[in-house]
Amino acid sequence: MDFSYLIQDIISGILMGSIYGLIALGLTLVFGVLKVINFAHGSFLMVGMYAAYWAVSITGLHPYVALVIVVPVMFFFGYYLQNFLIKPIFVAEKDVREPTTVIIVTTGIWYILDNITLLFFGPDYRALTPNPLKGKMMEFGDIFISIPKFYGFLIAIGTALLLYLFLQKTRTGRAIRATSLDRDAASLMGINQWKIFNVAFGIGTAVAGISGVVLTTFYNVYPTVGVPFDVKSFVIVVLGGLGSIPGAIIGGVIIGLIESIGPTFMTSTWTEAIVYVLFLLVLFVKPSGLFGQKYDW
Amino acid sequence: MTEKFIKKCCLAACVLFAFGMPLVVHSPTYLHISIMLLLFAYMTTSWNLVGGFAGVLPLGHSVFVGIGAYTSTILWLQYSISPWIGMLVGGVLSGIVGFLIGKPTLKMRGAYFALSTMAFVEGVRVVVENLPYLGPFKLNGPRGLNIPPIEAGHNDFFAFQFAGKEPYYYIILTMLVAVLALTWYVSRSKLGYSLIAGGEEPEAAEALGVNVAKCKVWAMVMSAFLTSLAGTFMAQLTLFIYPKSVLTLDLSFELAFIALIGGRGSIAGPVIGALLLRPVSEFSRIYLSDSLPGMHLILYGVILIVVMLLQPSGLTDPLTKKFNAIVKFIAKKTNKKKDFNDEYA
Repeated sequence: MDFSYLIQDIISGILMGSIYGLIALGLTLVFGVLKVINFAHGSFLMVGMYAAYWAVSITGLHPYVALVIVVPVMFFFGYYLQNFLIKPIFVAEKDVREPTTVIIVTTGIWYILDNITLLFFGPDYRALTPNPLKGKMMEFGDIFISIPKFYGFLIAIGTALLLYLFLQKTRTGRAIRATSLDRDAASLMGINQWKIFNVAFGIGTAVAGISGVVLTTFYNVYPTVGVPFDVKSFVIVVLGGLGSIPGAIIGGVIIGLIESIGPTFMTSTWTEAIVYVLFLLVLFVKPSGLFGQKYDW
Repeated sequence: MTEKFIKKCCLAACVLFAFGMPLVVHSPTYLHISIMLLLFAYMTTSWNLVGGFAGVLPLGHSVFVGIGAYTSTILWLQYSISPWIGMLVGGVLSGIVGFLIGKPTLKMRGAYFALSTMAFVEGVRVVVENLPYLGPFKLNGPRGLNIPPIEAGHNDFFAFQFAGKEPYYYIILTMLVAVLALTWYVSRSKLGYSLIAGGEEPEAAEALGVNVAKCKVWAMVMSAFLTSLAGTFMAQLTLFIYPKSVLTLDLSFELAFIALIGGRGSIAGPVIGALLLRPVSEFSRIYLSDSLPGMHLILYGVILIVVMLLQPSGLTDPLTKKFNAIVKFIAKKTNKKKDFNDEYA
């Protein structure tokens, strides 16, 4: 077997995997703070992709400049969605340890968002135009690196670092961490728990928006685009440990590597099965995931 | 009239209505919708044994539907074994799978459990889609299995194939009544009490000597067995199964939705949930899907959110309260008359 093929697979696996990690980042943050699996996360990604698509199509800006529009829009979208649809359930089920009803509400949001998009924009696959990054490659001898994916990798790492710094250094970040550790104690210390939930949900949605911008540069946009990424992010966050930021990125890279190296040895559909088998194995051996804390709530 | 008597009358009326409905309604469309309603009520009641009483959120029950459908169909197509026997074989197989998957996963906390059951369905679906054969058994990959009709217009009990919709209606109705009775029995048994205690306060229940993990696993096995029977029924009703029809997350999700809308952990919850949600999805699919694609799912999502926002514990509680108030009112009215008569007799 040619060695450069393997290197090529590893590189594209890491690049794509880091983008998976970026998508999972928002999910893991929301879980870490609210202790709720956000089933609508894939739909937020889809909304982010459509926002990027329309922002670029209408203004003709460079795709990455669209971040300036998409990120704040998505942040407030998530902020108010949490405030008006999810918070009431938390209030109503205050004494319930794991409000599974919230899962149902986020699933409802997922159905509504995906199908409203279908209703308004139809089932067509759309590609970003104008897209200055389309199909661009870097060449190193036999190895090709897709430029949009490489930038995506940089953005993913940058976002994870920024988020990490935000959580460690700023006052709001520390409040978010305190709430995720013990929301009652945090409330007693004068932290407005509901506001922190809103902010955390907003950031999670904004990160989904960033991944949406990154994805539109090399991926088609259509109403159900979020679903496969949704399931993949669940696998990633559990693999890496729910609530862990490095866990999300590394879990994403692991999945990316399996997906890019796997097809060399077997048909590509089987690699999907391997991902689920690995996921179940990790759960059975170490239920808290690779980087998760044992008792996180 | 005492309140108990009125309640018994209402129950009898419901049963009479359910059994008498096909004698009046002959339209295949409406019968089909009723069959689907009963089928989902049946599956959700089975789901409720573990999802409702044990307080966990399993999102992988379509695996058991798939096992039931595939087992009976393979046995019928390849070995000419009656689906009635295949139904039981599939049920036992599902029970074993339920035990194997429940044993490690039921120890996990809520979100992990929900996600691992989800991954299990997806994993099984991918495997079935990629396998033309599993050992000597033909799975036929993504194309699925087709059950050839016996003979048009004939009823064949042995082959589980009937000309009209009515036999299917009565079979699923009997299954539903049986599973409701079983749920009622379980809810009053030691297992039921242990499950509810373990679902609400696992530490306290453990401290009182309840083996919570063991109870949950047994509930899972029972639930898997019963859900699997519905798989065989589904296969015989549609005569065509493929991975995306029986092994999907959509089906698993729908069971959870119905249970949560109705009220998890209550006996009537799944039936009430199915009564509310199934007609919505059936009718909106029939009337709206052509003109407004996706509209039925938007409607579905809106109903889910609205009900969860207004009544997070499901609709059974407020409905039973209303029902009890009405019963009390009627009892009071009728009794007053009696008092009056007594006085002037």
